[in-house]
Amino acid sequence: MLPLPRFAWQAPDTLHGLLDAAARPGARILAGGTDLLPSMKHRLHRPSLLVSARRLPELAAIYEDGDDLCIGAFATLRAVRRHPVVRAELPALADACATVATPTIQAMGTLGGNLCLDTRCAFYNQPEGWRQALGGCLKADGDVCHVARKGAGCYAAHSADTVPVLWLLGARARIAGRRGTREVPVSELYDGADGRRWLRLEPGEVLTHVLVPRRGAPVVHHKVRLRASIDYAALLVAVRREGSGARAVISAVGPAPVEVRAARAEELPDLAHARVKPLGTHVVSTAWRRHMVRVAVRRALDACPVP
Amino acid sequence: MSDPTRPGGSPPEPPRSRGPGRGPASEVVASFLVNGEAVRALVPATRTLLEFLRDELGLTGTKHGCDLGDCGACTVLVDGVPRLACLTLVAELEGAAVTTVEGLAADGRLSPIQDALDRHGAAQCGYCTPGIAVNLTALLAEEPHPDDAAIREVLGSNICRCTGYTRILDAAREVAGGGQ
Ligand SMILES: Cc1cc2nc3c(=O)[nH]c(=O)nc-3n(C[C@H](O)[C@H](O)[C@H](O)COP(=O)(O)OP(=O)(O)OC[C@H]3O[C@@H](n4cnc5c(N)ncnc54)[C@H](O)[C@@H]3O)c2cc1C
Ligand code: SF4
Ligand code: FES
Ligand code: FES
Repeated sequence: MLPLPRFAWQAPDTLHGLLDAAARPGARILAGGTDLLPSMKHRLHRPSLLVSARRLPELAAIYEDGDDLCIGAFATLRAVRRHPVVRAELPALADACATVATPTIQAMGTLGGNLCLDTRCAFYNQPEGWRQALGGCLKADGDVCHVARKGAGCYAAHSADTVPVLWLLGARARIAGRRGTREVPVSELYDGADGRRWLRLEPGEVLTHVLVPRRGAPVVHHKVRLRASIDYAALLVAVRREGSGARAVISAVGPAPVEVRAARAEELPDLAHARVKPLGTHVVSTAWRRHMVRVAVRRALDACPVP
Repeated sequence: MSDPTRPGGSPPEPPRSRGPGRGPASEVVASFLVNGEAVRALVPATRTLLEFLRDELGLTGTKHGCDLGDCGACTVLVDGVPRLACLTLVAELEGAAVTTVEGLAADGRLSPIQDALDRHGAAQCGYCTPGIAVNLTALLAEEPHPDDAAIREVLGSNICRCTGYTRILDAAREVAGGGQ
């Protein structure tokens, strides 16, 4: 039995109430809970208040809004994956939702929760006693990083399956706070400098919608993992061809995804390999993951239609 | 500190837009159905559905495996959709209909997938079996004749350390192929 630490729960029935509750000290948004609750059972987070959006079904709606598909942040990955517009026009997003964990977890986990997924590390996502045996680490209860002992910060890996695809599709995150609403490209939502502060949300801000442009060149999602189900990525790649060039967004290698551009598409695998250096945040061999950067980018490009 | 739960008691109240939960609460009230019977739970906000089913309702068919979302042993249906009971707060269930493995049989007879799992010898230690029966029930309700890829994808939600899945697949294929 892994009991949850003590917290209070609240389910406001207006957006205003949700933002007020989220702004309380120690509050956290509870969406599907598939990332937050396991972490709380491991004592990685101890929020004093969980704020649920279950009384705000409009924040889980998916609708067409001009040239965008507007996806409520609390829509489940299952709902996103099955939505007719996603299937017909944004198949890479459906593919990315389909590689998250398992179908059962996709029915619980939300798109917003995926965008806000905590960064992950083999020394961090562990039971409390396991971590204590090592004296903790920078990201939780300690003062050294076991991945890079001489490093200045934490290198825990951004591991959200849908983010590289949303980044290349040009998606925007709509964020609400008590002082108003703002919109940020998904590509600007993350900070790669430190795995403890990877997400550019101010305290109390809530992601309410993800706006995905429906037109544009196709994107291809490619996930490298050990088993065909449930595993987090050893490497995540999305690619898009643009004229004779191409772009890749590569993740699961550091606190934020990394974008690599090539003027000529065939150069993209080598450029990515030169640029992206996975660290030992994962149980899978770092050398193999490094090798797989080139392979995965090439495979994704091969699957990506030439415009 | 938690109680009173009264299976078979008063019918669940409809979800209230201005009911409990408007302010922060460390004890919560939720009314919902479990296998068709009305339940009113007064529990700490931290209570998971898995703890509630097993420890308070005595419904131990839903298994406690990893408690972290990894294994699928605790799978139940909430409004017909599979969910992990270990990662579901009772607080979130107001107005919901929960079905556990105990709710699959009708009139004392195993459901078709339960019966097939039994006849194919698909259980060894049996710890994964309730979660698998629940998950395949949802798949077959939605898609009576799923192909192999669909069955395999759904079974990816449940870890079985004993059988190697072959007999589970055989049982699912038999029910999926029935009538075709
Ligand atoms: C066994 C297992 C395997 C998994 N494998 C994968 C995988 O392969 N790939 C993957 O990407 N994920 C994986 N996950 C993680 C998770 O299921 C998904 O990332 C899911 O999309 C998270 O969404 P959620 O709604 O459950 O988030 P929650 O757990 O509810 O929230 C996650 C975090 O985001 C915050 N948050 C949530 N919504 C908002 C919002 N709207 N505004 C502001 N903050 C918010 C929460 O406060 C919390 O800190 C796995 C989880 C488990 C248990
Ligand atoms: S990268 Fe270092 S500091 Fe960050 S979680 Fe891993 S061990 Fe801890
Ligand atoms: S006990 Fe819930 S997934 Fe393992
Ligand atoms: S029969 Fe033992 S885990 Fe499946």
